[in-house]
Amino acid sequence: MTESGRSRNDIPFDGSTPIGAVPLESILCTEELRNRPSRLPEYENENRALVALASALADSPRTVLQTLADKVFEVLHADSAGLSLLTKDEKRFYWAAVAGAWQPHIGAEAPRNFGPCGDVLDHNIPMLFNHWERRYPYLSWAMPLADEGLLVPFYVNGKAVGTIWAVAHDKRRKFDAEDLRLLERMSRFASAAYQVVGSIENLRLEIAAREKAETAVRELANGLETQVRVRTGELERSTRDLFDTNRALETEIAERKRAEQELRRSEAFLAEGQHLSRTGSFSWRVATDEITWSEQLYRIFEFDIGVRVTLELIGRRVHPEDIPLLNDMIERARGAVSDFEYEHRLLMPDHSVKYLHLIAHGSRDRDGRQEYIGAVQDVTQRRLSEEALSKARSELAHVARVTSLGVLTASIAHEVNQPLSGIITNASTCLRMLAADPPNVDGARETAHRTIRDGNRASQVITRLRALFCKKEATAESVDLNEATREVIALSLSERQRNQIILRSEFADDLPVVAGDRVQLQQVILNLLRNASDAMSAVVDHPRLVLVKTERDEDDHVRLTVQDSGVGFDPHAADRLFEAFYTTKDHGMGIGLCVSRSIIESHHGRLWAAPNDGPGATFSFAIPSAPGGLTGVGTHRDIRTPAVTDAAENL
Amino acid sequence: MIGTYALVSVVDDDESVRESLPDLLMEFGFAARAFSSAEEFLASDCVGQTRCLILDIAMPGKTGPDLQRELKLRRQDIPIVFITAHRDETVRPRMLEQGAVECLFKPFSDTALLKALNAALPAS
Repeated sequence: MTESGRSRNDIPFDGSTPIGAVPLESILCTEELRNRPSRLPEYENENRALVALASALADSPRTVLQTLADKVFEVLHADSAGLSLLTKDEKRFYWAAVAGAWQPHIGAEAPRNFGPCGDVLDHNIPMLFNHWERRYPYLSWAMPLADEGLLVPFYVNGKAVGTIWAVAHDKRRKFDAEDLRLLERMSRFASAAYQVVGSIENLRLEIAAREKAETAVRELANGLETQVRVRTGELERSTRDLFDTNRALETEIAERKRAEQELRRSEAFLAEGQHLSRTGSFSWRVATDEITWSEQLYRIFEFDIGVRVTLELIGRRVHPEDIPLLNDMIERARGAVSDFEYEHRLLMPDHSVKYLHLIAHGSRDRDGRQEYIGAVQDVTQRRLSEEALSKARSELAHVARVTSLGVLTASIAHEVNQPLSGIITNASTCLRMLAADPPNVDGARETAHRTIRDGNRASQVITRLRALFCKKEATAESVDLNEATREVIALSLSERQRNQIILRSEFADDLPVVAGDRVQLQQVILNLLRNASDAMSAVVDHPRLVLVKTERDEDDHVRLTVQDSGVGFDPHAADRLFEAFYTTKDHGMGIGLCVSRSIIESHHGRLWAAPNDGPGATFSFAIPSAPGGLTGVGTHRDIRTPAVTDAAENL
Repeated sequence: MIGTYALVSVVDDDESVRESLPDLLMEFGFAARAFSSAEEFLASDCVGQTRCLILDIAMPGKTGPDLQRELKLRRQDIPIVFITAHRDETVRPRMLEQGAVECLFKPFSDTALLKALNAALPAS
């Protein structure tokens, strides 16, 4: 059981030694112990021995077995004493502790039944031997020989694991009952001690083992912890990564879903919008004449959706009168890349007419190829309602104009007739007073005075009338004459349509702005356009054409010209044209040009008229451009409105 | 003799007429009074004495025809010569139809007025 037991010395060992040279009984003399005179107990020695054992047990439990051997040797006055223990396999005994003469043989071993220990354990009783070498020749090597040997079993946890023995090498020393008592007591004590030692040792070992195990576990745990930490970190990282990735994916998926939904929605919106607004869209690659249409455009043209669109196909639907327009548009589009805008008609198979408004944006791709993207709106409904509205409006305007002219005329007549009435009455009275006999000169003088006063009153009526039209002080703002003129042209469209007048405009691109009252200037322009229309109302032998032109004039002036092909005027009457109440018209008042001239003069400009070389007349005004005036606001896109100038107004 | 002259009253919102007509009427041999409104005439003590009324059609407040109706209600049967600065040819027949002696458009001549007055006052 102890390490020392496993160490070998130079004692000869022969496992083949025969057993039982003499019977056990022949060497036993245990019974004699009771018969031998027993020496007196030496309690003091005994106690000392036990105390020594106890302190050995307390101080150095590892040496307790040797202490036991020493104390047995001492207390029993033996020549040798020791402790033999079974090896773990219980096949051999070894001398775990030895004191006395045999002390040098400590650690010696012998097979279980090659010595007295085996027999003691087999019988489990104390035994006293006499010259045991007779039975156990194997022990002959242990010198001096044992005369007597007293052995008691040694128990640990109730199990005999060895023996404690005392040996007398001399015949004179004979063990007695007292020796047996002492040996048994010490054996019991040793058993307990050994048990404790064993327990302690076990405990120690256990503790050590446990500590070791714990250390190992701890190390393992540490390692594990580290590993776990590392792995956890990695896991956390990868989880986080995964989570992030997942989230990113989710976001992306959601984003994509949303985008898809939005796309679908906007596609739906677009389709719905195109449907509702009767607007189709198209793209046109000029080089290849590759044309793509939206579904709505197919519907507008009433072609089967998906049919390959060609210019030729489009041409089949375009109103024959508008074919030149289409060709002109294509020609222009193939030329320079620019935005363009057209209005033309379609003649449908059922002979109905559709009005289309087309706007296209031109661009070039990287290879410089032209492409147009545009929208086509079916404006038929609008055009028809516009025409109806415009007709109603122009009728209303005509009525209003006639009515207001009538009212104006009447009120002017009333205003003038009152003083006239006074003048005539006074003059008549005056004559009658002068004709009396005797003449009433004082009365005549009085009435003559009143006549003069009424004459002045009539003159004041005319002055008031002029002031009425030019009452307002012109407000000065920057006016783009091109833009202002465009508005007037647009406003008076229906009137020209009704009178079948063609209007052409030539606007200077670099026209400086003028400072003035926009509305007043527009009144003048409107008046000039109306005069031109009225002047051509009787023309049947040539086109009723109005040309409106803006241009720079000398001395930083801007000039606007309205040229008509109407009846013209007598060159000698050119100056009288601008007089109040001068008119060549059947229903004219003769106020328009008078007021217009007042307005232009208040803008520090001049208004004049000249007969044309051919039929008609040209009215122009020129007003100074604004100081430091910039070129007209906005860039004037090359937009023609042929439907207006060439088609609609030509109707 | 003055007291025996027939009274001709003028009702017109225009000052020129009110100033000039009475002088001419007196040259014709009438007594004359001028009023600027129908209300002023009705409030005066001349209504019963007036042998002929020269009445403007369009006036602020009561118009000429309004006054004509008012006088009819009061059983004041005064001959009326309407005058107006509005040359509306449809007005004259309507006025004559409603009992006016004459309807003159301003400006009118002295002879036209005298003729109307003679028609209004045949007894004189």
